[in-house]
Amino acid sequence: MPFDAYADVSDEALLVLYANGDGDAARSLNVRMTPRAFGQAMRMLGDRAEAEDIAQEAMLRLWKIAPDWRQGEAKVTTWLYRVVANLCTDRLRRSRSVDLDSVPEPEDDRPDVAGEMQQAARMTALQDALAQLPERQRQAVVLRHIEGLGNPEIAEILEISTEAVESLTARGKRALTAILAGRREELGYTDD
Amino acid sequence: MDKKPAEFDLDALFAEARGQAADPSPELMARVMADAIAMQPAPMRAAPPRRTSRLRQFLNAVGGWPAVAGLATAGVAGLWIGVNPPDAVATTAETLLGTSTDLYLVDLMPGYDLTFAEG
Repeated sequence: MPFDAYADVSDEALLVLYANGDGDAARSLNVRMTPRAFGQAMRMLGDRAEAEDIAQEAMLRLWKIAPDWRQGEAKVTTWLYRVVANLCTDRLRRSRSVDLDSVPEPEDDRPDVAGEMQQAARMTALQDALAQLPERQRQAVVLRHIEGLGNPEIAEILEISTEAVESLTARGKRALTAILAGRREELGYTDD
Repeated sequence: MDKKPAEFDLDALFAEARGQAADPSPELMARVMADAIAMQPAPMRAAPPRRTSRLRQFLNAVGGWPAVAGLATAGVAGLWIGVNPPDAVATTAETLLGTSTDLYLVDLMPGYDLTFAEG
C-alpha cells in the first residue's frame, strides 16, 4: 500500500491542495480514488483492460475539474462513482450498438470452472451473473452490495430517487439469485 | 457449506466479493499519476517583492505624481503668503491672535504666587 502523506485530510481538501499545485495531494488522491473507480468499472464491465481505461478517464476528469470544484456540493467519491457509472453506461451501449460479437459472452459453461478454487469460481460466477443483469440494475447492485454505499448516495450517483434505487437493487438481487441458483454446485453450495 | 436452494445466500457472496476487489495494476496507477501531473495547475507563488527607491516609496505613500503637484502648489502658496501677506490675511491674523502682549500675561499657575508669598 503506497504511503498516503495526507491520511487525515478529506478528499475535498486534497482536491483543493491538488489544484494549488501540491504533488503529494495528487499521489494521495490517486491512491484513494483510482482503486474505487477501477473496482466499480471492473464489476460493471467484467473486463480488466476496459475497466482500466474507464478508471483512467474518470480520474482524468477529476484532475480537470479540480480547479473549478465547488466545495460542499457533492462528495468527491459520489462524483467519481457517477462519472464511472456514466462512462460504463456509454461503453456498454456503444459496444452493443457497434458490434454485438465483440461483447464478451457470459461465460456460462467455462470448462475449467469446476477445477478452479471454489472461491475464484464463485467470484467468476457472480461476475458472470452481474453481466446478465440490465445495466441499471447492475449499477445499483454493484454500488449497494459490493461497493457498500447507502441508498441515498446511490440515488445521487444514478440521479434517480431512493425508492427507485431500492426497486433496482431488489429486482437485481432476485435476478442474481435466479441466475446463480442454477450454478449452486459449482459455487460450492450443495444440497444435503 | 450446505445450503438448500431457498437459502441461497447472496449476501454472503457479496461480502466475499467485497473482500476480493480487483486491485488496479501498477501501470494504471502510473498512468493516472502521469495524467495528474500533466493536468496539475502550476503552484501559486507569491510574487517576489520588487526593490523600490526611496523616491518611489515616498510617491507610493503620498499617492503618486499628481499628489506631488498638489503638495508643490500648496508649498509655493504658503511661502508667498508668508513673504508678502495680503491685507486680508494680516488683518485676520491680528484679529485672531491680537496685537498686544495680553496672551503672555495670562497667569497659568496662580498658586505659585501664594506659595512664594508665604515663603
